[in-house]
Parts: sequence; structure tokens; C-alpha cells
Amino acid sequence: MDKRKFLAAAALAVAGALTLGGCAGTGGSDGDIVVGSVNTKSGAATFPEASQAAQAVFDAFNAAGGLDGRKISYKALDDKGDPATATADARELVGSDEAVALVGGASLIECELNAKYYAQEGILSIPGIGVDTGCFDSDNISPANVGPFNDMTLTLLYGSEELHLDDICVLLEIAGSTRPTYQAAIDRWTQITGKKPLYIDDTVPYGASDYTPYIVKARDKGCKALAINPVEPDAIGQVKAANAQGWDDVTWLYLTSVYSENFAKAIDNAGAGIYVPAEFYPFTEDNDINKEWRDLMNKNDIPLTAFSQGGFLAAKHFITVLKTMKGDITRETVTKALKDMTPIENKMIGTDYHFGVDNTAGWPIVLKSGTNAWEKVADDWLRIPEN
Amino acid sequence: MIQGALAGLAAGGLYAVLGVCLTLMSRLVRVVNFSQAATGMFGAFCAVWLVTHAGLPIWLGSVIGVLIGGLLSAAIGWIAATWLSEADTTTRSAMTVGPLLLLISLSFILFGNKPQPFAPIIAGPAFSVGGVVISQVTIATVGLAVVVAIGVHFLLARTRIGTRLRALSERPTTAELIGIRSRPLSIAVWFATGLVSAIVIIIIAPSQSNDATSLSMLIVPAAASALLGGFRRLDLTVIGGLVLGMLSGLVAQIGQVSAVRNFLPFLFIVVLLLWSQRKEVWDAAR
Repeated sequence: MDKRKFLAAAALAVAGALTLGGCAGTGGSDGDIVVGSVNTKSGAATFPEASQAAQAVFDAFNAAGGLDGRKISYKALDDKGDPATATADARELVGSDEAVALVGGASLIECELNAKYYAQEGILSIPGIGVDTGCFDSDNISPANVGPFNDMTLTLLYGSEELHLDDICVLLEIAGSTRPTYQAAIDRWTQITGKKPLYIDDTVPYGASDYTPYIVKARDKGCKALAINPVEPDAIGQVKAANAQGWDDVTWLYLTSVYSENFAKAIDNAGAGIYVPAEFYPFTEDNDINKEWRDLMNKNDIPLTAFSQGGFLAAKHFITVLKTMKGDITRETVTKALKDMTPIENKMIGTDYHFGVDNTAGWPIVLKSGTNAWEKVADDWLRIPEN
Repeated sequence: MIQGALAGLAAGGLYAVLGVCLTLMSRLVRVVNFSQAATGMFGAFCAVWLVTHAGLPIWLGSVIGVLIGGLLSAAIGWIAATWLSEADTTTRSAMTVGPLLLLISLSFILFGNKPQPFAPIIAGPAFSVGGVVISQVTIATVGLAVVVAIGVHFLLARTRIGTRLRALSERPTTAELIGIRSRPLSIAVWFATGLVSAIVIIIIAPSQSNDATSLSMLIVPAAASALLGGFRRLDLTVIGGLVLGMLSGLVAQIGQVSAVRNFLPFLFIVVLLLWSQRKEVWDAAR
């Protein structure tokens, strides 16, 4: 008897909560514009700067009066690199918080897991940095960055076509189901240049304590250059492992993920040079193109990395589109506006931002031994040729 | 092949040193210290901070970092000796998980979650034999493992303080009754192993992934090597560490099995446990 009463009370309470929740969600068109993002802020590989940068952009936008007085309320959740948390985060933002769009996130796993849910809910996502495969093959997700797959093609192109390197080996750190997409990126390079990697090692682990065995193996196979897709800490480990082996004539073809001042400071011996096709305009020296981003990051004490550039741009793109909108700001109208947007030209990126269109340009930069600083090695964007 | 195995030797030396520390702790103060690598990591991070932010010379920063590592370990030892002196090994060991997590989180808060710009104290290749490069770090870690193991062996077998330590570990109550003061001695053991862990981590950190989590989790392969010596024998622990390091170097060379490399310490532990329990019947082993 008691149990039944309790159940009835519980059911009533749940029903009540649902009704109240429903009421809260329909908060009229004059409230804050809710924008969210799912990020990997803790765990094995972390990307906290993108959403921090987006937050800084939205804060500045709100401080300047917002959209005719309406402020953007930004909620960046942590998925801890855990699939269950990532899906729960998306449901919290889209389901409970009624976000109109997802902007400026950077997660190791989120896109692939949530792409279908976003499609089902009719919400669009502009990640600051798209990492996994799902970020690049879903109609509802269009990141501000080039992404590791096009970046892999670019770094290989630069190595073979500009540096004229033979015997390039590809070492891959594989997370989730990214292996076939990396293969496609390598095949694209083969298609363009007719060249093939000397060998591909796809067993390189994320966050290993010591990369010496992989480096030794590559050296034994006769590799002259290594194209690798690591997160920053792993890249430091790989370069140091080669240093310890006295392998000083190897050329490193890395991705934008290692482009940071922290990385440059940590590397003294870069072999024959560490080359990266930067996904955004290089921030190696003060320049007008990056000024607004740099000032905002410095003001908010956010590290100067490609990740914070991505988060900054995603938020900027979103605000640009928001400003063109007339009438109600709802999920439906925002989705429509993003799909119908005119491409945004921004000198920080090599391909104009257009929702759903791939970015295929990187700016080649180099870190040479003993300099502890990145330098530009080209005067223009390096682009993947159209097929 | 040989090159691959030797490539893992630096890591093997590191596992061996930490394994020797674990074995010592287990023998002398009845604890499996899960925070063994974490205190060293924290000391090393402090050293980096002192060098990069406070502008101290590298040697001074490193010495202070090593001392911080030792003091942290001593502080945990003080807790164990004060409140858990009568507790069993399981409880005392479980307590050390607390500091492990605390130190990882604390270093995230204080130093950020990026790897630290360690300035290497020793770096580069030492010599090469027939195309096989031996790095200076390898020499340092393997050397330290052997020196520490032999040093401790002589300390325990030949000196007065060693006799007291052994008395304490084998008959704690009797030892206290005849007037050996247990608390300062056991805290000293914590302090000494803390120092050694911090030294080896400062040596190894510049040449590998050095964020807080990967450094703290070195405890897993270290525990695997200590297990070969049954947490009692130092010589087997050193061999265990070196073999484990070389095995993981070797495995990475062979395409078909290189995915196993990440699980190697766990496999090592499982195989050793099965082997050590092989004669137990189910009822007794339970």
C-alpha cells in the first residue's frame, strides 16, 4: 500500500516537473539567445581553448549591446572524452536548454555520436575545431577549421611538392573510426601527386609515455619524413624520442594540432624542420589579420593556439549570420539562415566560410631547430587542387 | 629487432627504478604506494615552474623539485604512520589512491593540462653499437635502477639503520618494544623513495610525453615490474622493469601485435598473478 502511494506521488512529481520544464522552455523571443557546445575539456586529449575563445567573443558581443539588446547565453559542456557524457551533453543543450545552435566546440568524439540527433532535432553545429570524422560528413555540422583529414592531405602535399621529399612515412594515432577517413586523405594525395607513402603505421597510441619504438621502427624502414597526426603532448614525445636516438635529419610533417607557442618552446631540436599547414592565418608575429583575435585572447588570458582561433572564428561567423536575420530568433530560423548564408570572407581562413562547404586551405609554417618559434614559409595559402 | 628492444630500455630502466621504490615501500612500510609516480611528477612540475617562471638555474630548480617530491611523499607517509599505523596493507595502500588523484588534479589547476617545457638535464645519444643507438637517458635510468637496488641491498644487509628497518618490517611490535622508534624511520623511507622517484622522473620527463596523467600512471608498469619480484625481491624487480620495457619496445616493431603494446603491463600483471597462483587450489586461493 505504502509502496503504491509512493509510486503515485513520484509519478505526480515527475509529471509536475515535466510541465514546469515545458513552461520554462517556451520563454518567448525576448529572452537570451541560448547557444551551446560540447567539448573535451578533460581526459586523455583535451581541447579547452575553442569554447573559451567562443565565450570571450560572445561576452564581448553582449557587452557591446548584444543583438538589439538580446544577449547570447553560452553554455560549454565537458564530455570528458566519454561517449555517454557526450550524448548526454548534446541532449542537455538541445533538449533541456533549447539551444538555437551549437557553436565553437571542440571535442574528440562528439560529432560522430551526435550528428544523427542534431539532424533529428533540426539543429546546426559550427564546431570551432572539428576533430572526428562525423564533423566533416554530416549535413548538420560544419566546423570553422580545415580538420585533420584535409590537413593530412595538405601536409603530405607540402612535403612532396614543395619540399620535394621522397620516402614519406605516415604514422597515425587512430581514435574511434577515423582510420578509413585518414586513408581517404592519403589516397587523395596519391591521386594528386601519384606518390605513395613508404609505409603506414596505424598502431601509434594516443598518450603513450614513450614513442621511441615507433620512431626507431620508422628510421629502420628508411623514412626521410614522417607525417603524423598527434595531439600536442604526443608530438613532443615523438620529437624528443627522435632526439634521443640522434635522428637529426628527419623532416616532420605535422598537423595544426601542434601549432602553439607552448609546443615551440618545448622543442629545441626539430630535426630537419617541423612543417605544419596552419588551418588559420599564422599568428607567429603580430599582424593586422589576427589582431582582433590576439587582443581578445590576451585580454581573457586564453592561450594563443589554433584551437582558440577556431573557437573565435566559429563565434564570429555565427554572430555575422545572426546579424543578417530578421524576425524571430528560433532554432528553425537560425538553421534556415545558416543554410542560406552568403559565404563569409575572412583573412584568417583560406576558404570563405559557407555552412556545409569544406575548408581546403592551410598556410605552411615551420619550426626550425634552436629557434623555439614558428615562422611562415609561404606567401599564400596552400590549397588542395580541385579534382 | 634488437634496436627495437633496446629502444624500450630507457622506459624499462624507469619502470625498474619506480618498481624498486614500490618494493621497498612494500617491504619496509607495508604499503603499495599508488602515488609513487605522482609525487615525483609533482616535484618535477614544480622544478619546471621554478626554472621557467622564477628564473632559477636548471640544477637548482631540479634540486628543489626533487626535495618537494620527497617532502610530499614524506607527508603521505606521516599520514600513514600517524593514523593508519595499525591498519592492514590493503587499507594503507588504498589511502595512497587519494594523493594520486589529488596530485593529478592539483597539477592541472596549478600548471594547466598541457605538457611542461622540461629543459633536459641529459639528452641525445650516448653511443651506438653496430647501428643500435643507446641514448644517455637509457644509461641514466638503467644505471639508477641498478645503483638504487644494490645500494638498498647493502643498506639493509650491512648497516645499523638497515637492521632496524628490517626489524620494523618483520616484527613491528617487537621492534617497538625494544625501543626502535617506528614513525621517524618509516617516514624516512617514504621521503627517500619520494626523492628517488622525483629524480628519475625529472631525468625521463624531457624525453617523453610529460603531462600529469601519463607521468602519474607510470605506476602501472612499475607495479608490474615489482610484481615479478613479488614486492619482496629487488633484483627480480629490476629485471622485471627492464624486461617489460624491452618487451614493449619489441612488440611495437611487429605490426601484427603492436596494438598489444598499450596493454602489455596489464598482460604482464595477469600472467604473473596466474603463474604465482598456479599451485593454489580454488578453495585456498580464494
